[in-house]
Amino acid sequence: MLALAPYLNLAISGAVQGLVIALAALAISLCFAIARFPNAAIGDMMTFGAYVGVGGQALAAGSIVGGGIAAVLATTLVSVLTYLLVFRRLASKPLVASLIASLGIAFLMRSMLTFILGFDQQTLRVPVSRAMNFSGVRILPIDLWLGGLALLVLAATFLLLFATPLGRRMRAVAADMQLAQASGIRSGRVMIALWAVVGALSAAGGIMVGIKTVVTPDLGWDLLLPAFAAAVLGGLGSPVGAVVAGIGLGIVQELASPWVGFTYKIALGFVALIVVLLVRPEGLFGRPELVR
Amino acid sequence: MLAYPVAIGTVAGIYALLTLGLNLQYGFTGLLNFGHVAFFAIGAYVSALFALAGYPAALGLAVGTVVAFCLAYPLGLLCLRLRADYLAIVTLSFSEIVRLVIVSEDWATQGTRGLAGIPRPFSGLGSGTAEVAYLLLVLGMVAVAALLTWRLAHSPFGRLIQAVRDEEDAVRSLGKDPAQVKVKVLMLGSGLAGLAGGLYAHYVTFISPEQFLPIITFYVWIAMIMGGSGTILGPLLGSGLLLLFLEGSRFLRDVAPFVSEVQMASVRLAVVGLALVLFMLYRPQGLVAARNRA
Repeated sequence: MLALAPYLNLAISGAVQGLVIALAALAISLCFAIARFPNAAIGDMMTFGAYVGVGGQALAAGSIVGGGIAAVLATTLVSVLTYLLVFRRLASKPLVASLIASLGIAFLMRSMLTFILGFDQQTLRVPVSRAMNFSGVRILPIDLWLGGLALLVLAATFLLLFATPLGRRMRAVAADMQLAQASGIRSGRVMIALWAVVGALSAAGGIMVGIKTVVTPDLGWDLLLPAFAAAVLGGLGSPVGAVVAGIGLGIVQELASPWVGFTYKIALGFVALIVVLLVRPEGLFGRPELVR
Repeated sequence: MLAYPVAIGTVAGIYALLTLGLNLQYGFTGLLNFGHVAFFAIGAYVSALFALAGYPAALGLAVGTVVAFCLAYPLGLLCLRLRADYLAIVTLSFSEIVRLVIVSEDWATQGTRGLAGIPRPFSGLGSGTAEVAYLLLVLGMVAVAALLTWRLAHSPFGRLIQAVRDEEDAVRSLGKDPAQVKVKVLMLGSGLAGLAGGLYAHYVTFISPEQFLPIITFYVWIAMIMGGSGTILGPLLGSGLLLLFLEGSRFLRDVAPFVSEVQMASVRLAVVGLALVLFMLYRPQGLVAARNRA
């Protein structure tokens, strides 16, 4: 038991990181399922959410809940705006156009943040608490809170997708846009709802990273590749796959770090991605590609 | 006074080589390579290590080009199985892996400390003349690369790669294998990036992993998209414009002194981002539109 403790600690810390990756991967995967392109702006949307959280917390007299609410509202708004101003108009063009535009939006958002706020680290303040110790296995209460929060957000997203009329319409649009439109679904509204969900998920992910570490301009961009890896591993467009792969990736990265070191830990996600794509291009949970 | 335009011209030439390489991959063949900087880095490091070991610069440049060319082969095999958007993610990841390897394997690369003291060719000619000679070398390489691209684009192979870009299924139905074509193009473009990397290493004389961040890939993308992908003139024009902008923004501070140097970096990134979005919305074909494309 005693020898296992360090690994359990790593696994726990990996699971929390994995939940953050899962939130971002879910946003990417949803975006891909319905808007049909890999959205590179999601990383910087997370960064934006974290910064709004810092500002919101300052305004709300130090309340992290206030900061979180401000972050979700602002990021949701920005996400919907990117759709209305840019992605809606590129929907009929090849996927590449949206992908490149999303990169542009990512750069634009990050540079506006650094122009106004500089490159200094910011922090989201939470009460400091002592780790609970179970014969060597240490659990930080904040990790439990973060894990619970992430699970709650994920559960809410899945409820929305699979148990509400709006979710059914979203999945219909994802399956076949034209058929959905022919059946009387207003795809424009569904798209706005989708982008709102993508924004809210990004904000939640950004806030979680901000609480766990510090808020920097590169926070989201650094998470983007692991999140893409998880989304692809899980099968792009498969929400369940994205979440499972995200958590799995977080745990594997942490467990591997004693052997491969810190730098290669990051590379591990990419290697896993490349291997899975070679063996099973449709991802772990994806269905084989259909010709559309 | 001449030194400054010569410096800008040299870097613009290096970017032009990178852009021609990417243009071969994306502009002519439709491959979404988001990891171009990886081969730039490989070319730079291989060529720098050769030069530091005492071999002549020409040998280092050649080996760097060949290594980048060859290392694109395994990546090419991978992309045979991937759709366009997956390829973008995998190549982006690949470029980060290459950078992480450079950071970690410090027995060869000196890690984050970087490689210093890379000799610059023609230094025997004395300052001033040496820089001009190097500029001519770089521009000569650009001219050769542009000419070869032109020849390639108008050869049967060129028609084949453009067919792969426009209608892959049709190519397959005619009994040609798009996968083979893609691998070859990926290798050619990466070789050009490797050459650009070698020229860059010998020009700046100091390289470190921080010079090979993904942002370089996107600078090359914006140069290609601004200029016009799938043309020869477009990438040349685009890399010139990119350099004018990157350098010109230095002078912007004379006009707007209230903006700090750190903030200028943000402004540069903002303009690149905005340009990407606006070009995609209003002029996806770039400034120089290809004639034979819808």
